[in-house]
Amino acid sequence: MDSSLFIPALLTGIFCYLGAIESPWLFGMSGGFYVMGRPLVAGLLTGIAFGDVTAGVLCGAAVQAVFIANLSTGGATNSEITYAAYGGIGLALATTKDPAVAVTLSILIGQTFGLIFYNTRMAAYSVWNRGAQKAAEETNDRGIVMNHVVYPQITTFILRAVPIFLAIYFGTGLVDWLLTNVPQVVTDVISVLGGVLPALGIAMLMGIVIKDRMHLVFFFAGFVLMAFAGLSMLALVFIAALVAYLVFLSSGKQMAVEVGNITMNANAAYEDDDMF
Amino acid sequence: MENNKDRLTKKELRQLWARWGFTHLSSMSYEKLQAHAWAYSYIPFANKYYKDDPEAKRRLLLRHSMFYNTEPQTGQLINGIVASLEEEIAIGGDVSEELPVNIKATLMGPLAGVGDSIIQGIIVPILLSIAMGLAAGGNVLGPVFYIVTYGICGPLISYLCFINGYRLGVSAIDVIVGENAKRITDAFNVLGIMVVGGLAASNIALVTGLDIPMGDEVKPLQDVLDGIFPKILPLVMVLLAWYLITKRQLKATTVILILTVICTAGVVIGVF
Repeated sequence: MDSSLFIPALLTGIFCYLGAIESPWLFGMSGGFYVMGRPLVAGLLTGIAFGDVTAGVLCGAAVQAVFIANLSTGGATNSEITYAAYGGIGLALATTKDPAVAVTLSILIGQTFGLIFYNTRMAAYSVWNRGAQKAAEETNDRGIVMNHVVYPQITTFILRAVPIFLAIYFGTGLVDWLLTNVPQVVTDVISVLGGVLPALGIAMLMGIVIKDRMHLVFFFAGFVLMAFAGLSMLALVFIAALVAYLVFLSSGKQMAVEVGNITMNANAAYEDDDMF
Repeated sequence: MENNKDRLTKKELRQLWARWGFTHLSSMSYEKLQAHAWAYSYIPFANKYYKDDPEAKRRLLLRHSMFYNTEPQTGQLINGIVASLEEEIAIGGDVSEELPVNIKATLMGPLAGVGDSIIQGIIVPILLSIAMGLAAGGNVLGPVFYIVTYGICGPLISYLCFINGYRLGVSAIDVIVGENAKRITDAFNVLGIMVVGGLAASNIALVTGLDIPMGDEVKPLQDVLDGIFPKILPLVMVLLAWYLITKRQLKATTVILILTVICTAGVVIGVF
């Protein structure tokens, strides 16, 4: 515990609230979850709070690599990215400023405490929903505002800002102790896990975009262009756009053929696309 | 019939857009997700049109308190369509009160699919990949680039979707689920799949530390693998995770545990 940590810890806690998925302040998810919630941005902001921007950005970029494919669909998520980013980077900046430490702490926090907090909150907020439902039945405007915005946001602030503030303000000793006492094999496992974890988020993205087993061909094409040819992401995007355009051009004909196959009627192949 | 009532002003439309835009997930829970953001968005609307008709106001608020979940930025298209329908209902037009409910229930799924693949599958990973390149060595330019580009993209997509949804009304449905739209989203999907493939190659890191005998000398297995298929281990990992998630329908938390077990076993026996 170090009183010079008070302000940085407090700011990091507030950032963690502002970057939360349910935070409304920065145009909802657009500026909150998708901008302030990203570890790369968290690195910059935490770096400013701790007065060491370079170390912050380095930690942020390292943590971002692990959480590049963080995903939130239908309320389900593969890791609690906001707790992970602000907790992990904040604690690292308060102690060793080492990006590897930030990554280890982020994984620990995001996959354990973060997910537990997140899932508990997602279950518990049914209480506010019931309040808002009741308010709608009674045409009580104020009730809707209170139960949709005011109460949930106060609870969220307490659940986000307070644990992160406490963790950074009181947790530095624990981190030092962990770093010196945890056996080497555990740190090795976490560092390997940090490399493998993006596979989960990417697999979830694949679950969204790959609707047909044949689509794996495009996935392998993208993979090979990066792994074998060593293209940059931007170069890949342009090649992918070309392929997508070719698919678009060819899908016109293909659809007519499909229609023919389905109806088993040769004439249907000449029907216009707009028949649906 | 109150045909003489005013239509929504530009300011009121922007208010509908912004109320949803700011608070879509404010009270999210597994049970209702974005449901009550609708009721919250429609409070000023309700007070404009149904000030003297509490029963109609009650019906409006209740039909906008039902379970709802979509990608909230591209999903503003639905908010725009529904705004045009609710306006018709309020000014006494020939639209049933069931229609907005049906539209929301029918479109939220397809739009979440398209929106998630465009936002989380294409835009965010691409911008982040570029930003992480710029951030090398701790350069502030990286995060600033991402803040500015996504800070413009997100709200812009949201606004354009809302305004076009409102302007097109019900005919916007064809934009989402029509056959011609399917060709465009399928093409975007291909773009997304290739980008995801690239993400897999550039972001998953796994190498083996094993050595294998090659004739008389001993060579690191990883060098041999790199010669045949670079990044083969990350590819195996992502395909395994994909198989577990989509074919075996496991939860993300379960897959994390499985990956942790694999990594631990690998480290302990000295493979990784």
